Amino acid sequence: MPTTITEPAADVVILGVGYMSGVVAAELTLPGLTYKVVAITKGPYWDYVNDFSTTKYDEWGVGLGRKYDSPLPLQSATIRNTPQQFALPVRRYTMPIQYHALGHGVGGAAQHYGGTMGRQGPWGYTQKSSTVTRYGQAFLDGVNPHSDLEDWPLTYAQYEPYYVEWEKAHGLCGNYNGSATNQSSDTGYPWMSQNYPLPPSPITPVGQLFQTATQSLGYHPFPHVSALASQPYVNQYGVPVNPCVYDGYCGGPCDYACETGAKANAAYRTIPAAMKSSNFTLVLNSFIFRLDTDPSSGLVTAARYYDPQGNVHIQPGKVFFNGMWGYNMIRIMLLSGVGAPYVWNSVPASVSGAVGRGLTNGYLPYKGTNVSGTLPNNGGNSYPAGNGSGGSVDIYDLMDDNFDHTGLNFIGGTEVGAGGYPGGGPGNITFAGSVSSASMGGTFKATQKDKYLPTKTTLSSTPFAHDLPTTDNYIDLDPHYTDIYGDPLTRLTYDWTPNTYNGATYLVNKVKDIFTKMGASNVTVGSTVAPGAAHNDWWGHHLRGGCRIGTDPNTSVWNKWNQCWSPVSKPVFNIFGAGEITNTSGDNVPSGTHIAGPQSYRAAEGIKQYLALGTPGILP
Amino acid sequence: MPALRLSDKPKYVSLPQIESRIPKPEELVVLSKPLLDATIMIGKVLIDCTNKWAMAGDAAEVISGVNVQADHIAILTTKEGCDEITRKLVKYQIEPPRAVEREIERDAKVDLKLHKVWIKSYTARFDVQGSRLDVHGDLQIKVGDWEWGDPLDFEPDYVYVVGVKLPIIPLKVKSELYTGLGWMDRASKIHEAVMRSRHMFG
Repeated sequence: MPTTITEPAADVVILGVGYMSGVVAAELTLPGLTYKVVAITKGPYWDYVNDFSTTKYDEWGVGLGRKYDSPLPLQSATIRNTPQQFALPVRRYTMPIQYHALGHGVGGAAQHYGGTMGRQGPWGYTQKSSTVTRYGQAFLDGVNPHSDLEDWPLTYAQYEPYYVEWEKAHGLCGNYNGSATNQSSDTGYPWMSQNYPLPPSPITPVGQLFQTATQSLGYHPFPHVSALASQPYVNQYGVPVNPCVYDGYCGGPCDYACETGAKANAAYRTIPAAMKSSNFTLVLNSFIFRLDTDPSSGLVTAARYYDPQGNVHIQPGKVFFNGMWGYNMIRIMLLSGVGAPYVWNSVPASVSGAVGRGLTNGYLPYKGTNVSGTLPNNGGNSYPAGNGSGGSVDIYDLMDDNFDHTGLNFIGGTEVGAGGYPGGGPGNITFAGSVSSASMGGTFKATQKDKYLPTKTTLSSTPFAHDLPTTDNYIDLDPHYTDIYGDPLTRLTYDWTPNTYNGATYLVNKVKDIFTKMGASNVTVGSTVAPGAAHNDWWGHHLRGGCRIGTDPNTSVWNKWNQCWSPVSKPVFNIFGAGEITNTSGDNVPSGTHIAGPQSYRAAEGIKQYLALGTPGILP
Repeated sequence: MPALRLSDKPKYVSLPQIESRIPKPEELVVLSKPLLDATIMIGKVLIDCTNKWAMAGDAAEVISGVNVQADHIAILTTKEGCDEITRKLVKYQIEPPRAVEREIERDAKVDLKLHKVWIKSYTARFDVQGSRLDVHGDLQIKVGDWEWGDPLDFEPDYVYVVGVKLPIIPLKVKSELYTGLGWMDRASKIHEAVMRSRHMFG
């Protein structure tokens, strides 16, 4: 019969073992430190040789069955677009409903991503105040009705040293970020005090064309930043890393695990360092379902989890790090009564609470104003394959406030790039559900003939601006649907905001100029797509916001140390957190993970400071 | 807000579990902090070294992902290289460069017979932030009664250690050397690391 087991108390209990938790585990178990650290994950420990080498070449099982990912029968989420709708649960990981799966086990979702990275520029950290200062509050209100945009608690310059540590830990590849001076005085671009620790993967001919074209237009191109090791590497924890073998089963329908460990994630960068320490305990296949709190102080006293046999384990600790993925980070706090839950109201001034507030999406609408063209003499050979995020070149010149938005109807913009490896990921079976004459039958077969030896390159871009937080997009607990254990599912109330669509309509002509300069023929701008032309019906795995870091405990969950300071009346200050969902908004670069990374170092530093306090409390 | 419901009821659910095993600490390849720090420092100092050199020894194998224990750093170079490296690292020097010939601890096993192994090189020794560094110029090996081999020559591979690009003795060279000496356990460890770094088991 299942039973209840109380585990030995730890100094630090880590919830989930993904990217952010890996950093905290490695930092708190460094040689010389004596903290007892326990990390709990609902999935397995993946060994990239034994678990992936022979089984990952299974496009159906990985791309559609999501066999390495979090099983939906265990838990899912419900989705609706407005507070007035009834939310329905996600029941499959396939398009058109959903194809971005949660991770499962050590390494989390980063076991299966394309490796795309990219720092957020200085403007991203002050986008609310910068926008109001330059264009006025009325402009922001017009761009983003019911705006709930917030600045970060620290500036880019303050996060920069943490970016460096995070990039070293995971062996990121690149060559600066397009800053002309690479000085802190260049406030438009993410300047770097140290270059990326690995050089970029080889640039493709299309990437080189993009580089030449954008340079001649006065832009500042740089190689796409990737977390797929381009060279053999050893990180600051002494963990050796194998380089990418360009096997091609990397990108694609987000995505394929890596059989050499070249795809950066906690399992092969930070967790091995922690596991070398006798102070670290890893708990697998264990589903955290509640945080126990002390009735008088409100502080978290233990994490409760089910093991595979159904036993309840109680893991006491002094400090807790919430490194669970996306909405699970929010859900465990809502289930446990930790922090002030967000309460929606149709009148923005009447909303309250912080946990679940400010949800945005790093993935953008699937309909938007598009530009396309053809490079007739740039074919390719997809057979030698490639990887999911190397080979291309980007510019940051059309994002942030790097151009004047006066008279426009959006803020920010987008990173624009071109030139990824044609064989970066399999594409035979990608989106089941998108059934059309183009994806089956004779028409489909005809397109397969020379699929891997294309004689031309199609360029296409829908340059959405980023998604902005509003008081109407949020996460709470679903009153109708539960997980397998009977606890309420996460409910997402979310739809894309006008900023995204409006940005695309303007930026598409800028991208058209780039395509034309590259020598593309038939460069065509599609018809204008108005805001709201498509509605969100998936969760995406790049949700941002919802459990925000910020400057005000009334609107954010975490302070500048990523320490909980909610609710204001009795903050639960012995829990820290980091992840994409702690970013204050959607952003302009494709990687919320890269932006969350520095926060994990801040949290680790904060936890050390907290444990050193004579009287526990909010860190100064 | 109070907790929604504080459940302490054990609950079994029928879900397929993915079998996995947590590796033991000794199965994980990690370069120790002192050796890592010393390696980075050495790499920075020798970045403009004009003579051919490369990281060698057990530490170099760990850097390449081989699961062995390293207690010091070794560099392989030429006689001139040893002199140049000594000039660059002079403040860490504990033994100046000189010709050294010695029998090593482990015998070779060739044709099922054990043979003594000697090495000779133009050697200098250093203490870099508490880690021992041996620099070998023109290293030669002699097995049993056979002639001394030619000074070891190599074309280095490169590894980035926290952003510092370091030349390193290729694992292929080490593997051939171990195989020749009959140290199949060491060759096997290299093979294991190579398999883990290649597509579909190498």
